[in-house]
Amino acid sequence: MSQELGSLLSKKLESESINGEIINLEPLTGGASKEIWKFEVKLKDKSEKYILRRGSGIEGPLAIKTSDEAQIQKTVRKLGALVPEIISVSSLSEPLGDSYIMRFVEGETIARKILRDSEYKNALQNLAFECGESIAKIHQTDIAELSFLPKKTVKEQLNDLYETYTLFNQASPVFEYTYLWLKKQNFGEIDDALVHGDFRLGNIIVSQDGLQSIIDWELAHVGNPLQDLGWICGNSWRFGNTDKVVGGFGDLKDLLDGYNSISEYQVDQETVRAWQVFGTFRWGVICLIQASAHLNGTINSVEKAAIGRRVSETEIDIVDLLFLGGR
Amino acid sequence: MIFDKPDSVELLDAVNHFLNEKIKDEVPPHLAFKLRIVENVLNIVSREITLGEKLSNEVIKDLRELIEKDTANIKDLALLIKEEKLDLQNEDLKDLLVKLSKNKISIDNPNYSTFKKLID
Repeated sequence: MSQELGSLLSKKLESESINGEIINLEPLTGGASKEIWKFEVKLKDKSEKYILRRGSGIEGPLAIKTSDEAQIQKTVRKLGALVPEIISVSSLSEPLGDSYIMRFVEGETIARKILRDSEYKNALQNLAFECGESIAKIHQTDIAELSFLPKKTVKEQLNDLYETYTLFNQASPVFEYTYLWLKKQNFGEIDDALVHGDFRLGNIIVSQDGLQSIIDWELAHVGNPLQDLGWICGNSWRFGNTDKVVGGFGDLKDLLDGYNSISEYQVDQETVRAWQVFGTFRWGVICLIQASAHLNGTINSVEKAAIGRRVSETEIDIVDLLFLGGR
Repeated sequence: MIFDKPDSVELLDAVNHFLNEKIKDEVPPHLAFKLRIVENVLNIVSREITLGEKLSNEVIKDLRELIEKDTANIKDLALLIKEEKLDLQNEDLKDLLVKLSKNKISIDNPNYSTFKKLID
């Protein structure tokens, strides 16, 4: 498998005038839906590290094509936002499939390591502010360049999530209640922008010096961008550090200070809270989608089967937020 | 039950022990991650066999009291909320949704941070 992949990579890189032997090709623990490989290219006097990100070619109900992710990274990079440099893009019809090669960025993505290891202690102090700044920069991207992206109003997104939930025929009184609650909320009157859609630990690269890069753009879309601020505050992305509202490492005030230092539109905590409930509901529906791929026989995967039993995590988070004073 | 020992929970426990003691250190990192998921799944099944019926019945009992119908189930409750036939501000309804969520998570993932925070 990896020998064949190595020769595909080698051919693809030749077309970008990068000629060298592919070495140390190894799979990385990635998301549930993508293959991620790390490898090096041995050049005359040095070797360079790269990442291959490869999709199945099947677009999910929320996910975009892998090659489109590459296009977003190229556009966002021009603004000075922190994303890895794209080296080469392959479409589904090419031998390498729906995928792209990007430059490897040094740092850590595994949330529990970043939160636990002492080497990141200093970086964590300022990380919420840095994330706020980065999210605001992403939201300044010119969406005219990204016309291939799905565009949805909050109402449309909410209805889509609800419709998706009903498709699975698994009644959730908590989700029914949440849907009614969300329909009455104010999500902020802000212009449509590029939404990363999955900004959290796991999808950012952090080093001892702080935030290095933003990766994993498969849930990107155009819409109300404040969704990104609520998403990273969801308890699912605090990895057990429940009292640190932002990603398990920071305070909401710091995230908003960072965001508001760049953004013309000034965001308040109440709006983020509505988005936090929205995000938790959204993650619950994504869990349902993932589990259904196993349940309907598309693939047999213990990971996807297990995620079906994580829906209850989002339900307990929602009742905590709505009824029990949770933050 | 007509079956011999070990019972289903004891069998699951033996499999889990084997994975933890004999397999875990032998697999590469990307499979170690999946192995942890497998262990979690076995633990869910084990807890559901042991406690599932009791925790489920507790919720159904409260649900039937709240809506005063002795055949009602979770689907009925979802529909009553959807159609706003229940007062959404009713404290008993909120309590029921909390209990439902707590009982579900105590099978699926009793170490989940929000659940641990709420039972402390």
